[in-house]
Amino acid sequence: MSLITANRISYTINNKKLFHNLSFTIDAGSALHIKGGNGSGKSTLLRILLGITTPSKGKIELLKPNTKITYLGHKNAIKNYLTPIENLKLIFHQSSLESALDWFQRLGLSRVQDEISANLSFGQQKKLALIRVLAAPADLIVLDEPFVGLDDSSRNLLNKYLQESISKGSSLALTSHIRPEIISKELMLENFSND
Amino acid sequence: MIKIFQSEFFKLRKKLRTWLGPLLIMVLVLIAFPLSIDISQYDLNRFYFSIIVVALLMISFLSTEGIFLEDYEDGSLEQVYLVEQDFYKFVLAKVLTFVLLIGVPMAGIGSVFSILNGISINEVPKIFFMMFLSNLLLFNLFAFGSSLSINKGAILGVLATLPLALPIIILLGRGVRTIQYGIGFEGVMALMVGSGLLVTSIMPLIISATLKTHLE
Repeated sequence: MSLITANRISYTINNKKLFHNLSFTIDAGSALHIKGGNGSGKSTLLRILLGITTPSKGKIELLKPNTKITYLGHKNAIKNYLTPIENLKLIFHQSSLESALDWFQRLGLSRVQDEISANLSFGQQKKLALIRVLAAPADLIVLDEPFVGLDDSSRNLLNKYLQESISKGSSLALTSHIRPEIISKELMLENFSND
Repeated sequence: MIKIFQSEFFKLRKKLRTWLGPLLIMVLVLIAFPLSIDISQYDLNRFYFSIIVVALLMISFLSTEGIFLEDYEDGSLEQVYLVEQDFYKFVLAKVLTFVLLIGVPMAGIGSVFSILNGISINEVPKIFFMMFLSNLLLFNLFAFGSSLSINKGAILGVLATLPLALPIIILLGRGVRTIQYGIGFEGVMALMVGSGLLVTSIMPLIISATLKTHLE
């Protein structure tokens, strides 16, 4: 069953066509790996999928009503002046906070729990931001370069989580220059560029 | 909605400089002004209230300048949009939090200092309520200004909305006169309450649309 269909979508910015006549579907329980060089429009395509950005032409349809979506983009949405735990309390309701704290431990962040988030390393901030996705089961997971900055063990943990989520019926759309260890369809954006 | 409000309140409370800074500046201005002139030569009662009003305007202006900037820069706006599909509740919670943590104390400080303007202590609650309503209107207005040019330096947008603050200031001045002369206070108050409710319910819609445009 398809969760999302993209029908002949194009995106133009500053008179430059990033992609043109792009059509694809993402089925429930499947993954789409969006590939392309820097500036090819991978992040823009993810934002179009999420409804944040409107395509210049074409249409994106979410076929399941009330689809639960989790997303981690380039920006971590972490408040630098708060501790990691305070950040998690902002994101999660009490009912899901336990799961978030569990992931917090599994990702090895317990030793920095009293630090201000601004003092965390890039990788630690990335892990903290990823908990937003890991601790909230969703119908659609959208990730923009999720592996950047992660150490090997965290990368493995993320790969394993994504594979498990897909096998449980979640869909995944991600961009990554680091090859994910999950079975996924590949979409090469350069093939849809007019340049 | 409660969760969003709690989160916004918690975030602002943690940013001591953002909410305490404007209040300290207001106190400083209101104390420093009479000290900086030879008050024996002037009838302070005649113009001190104008200083309070200008301080109120400037502090509202300054404290709302970066109201959405942090959430825009760190990606929080995108996350809010994904959950809510618009920013109405977010903006409402944000503006009300600013009013609660900055606007209400400002109204308190302004009311206390208005005693210097010859307002009797019995009338202070009226002044407080009026200043609170003015702040509610000003914060909504300047939040809109801030959202207009969020990624180009929000001060530009806030400056653009500054002329729209003049009717609020005129209304506030008129309200103070009604208190001083003891006539027509209820009418001005009703007008301010009505405007406050209207602006507080409509402005988040407009700001929400503006923020969405910036995310595009």
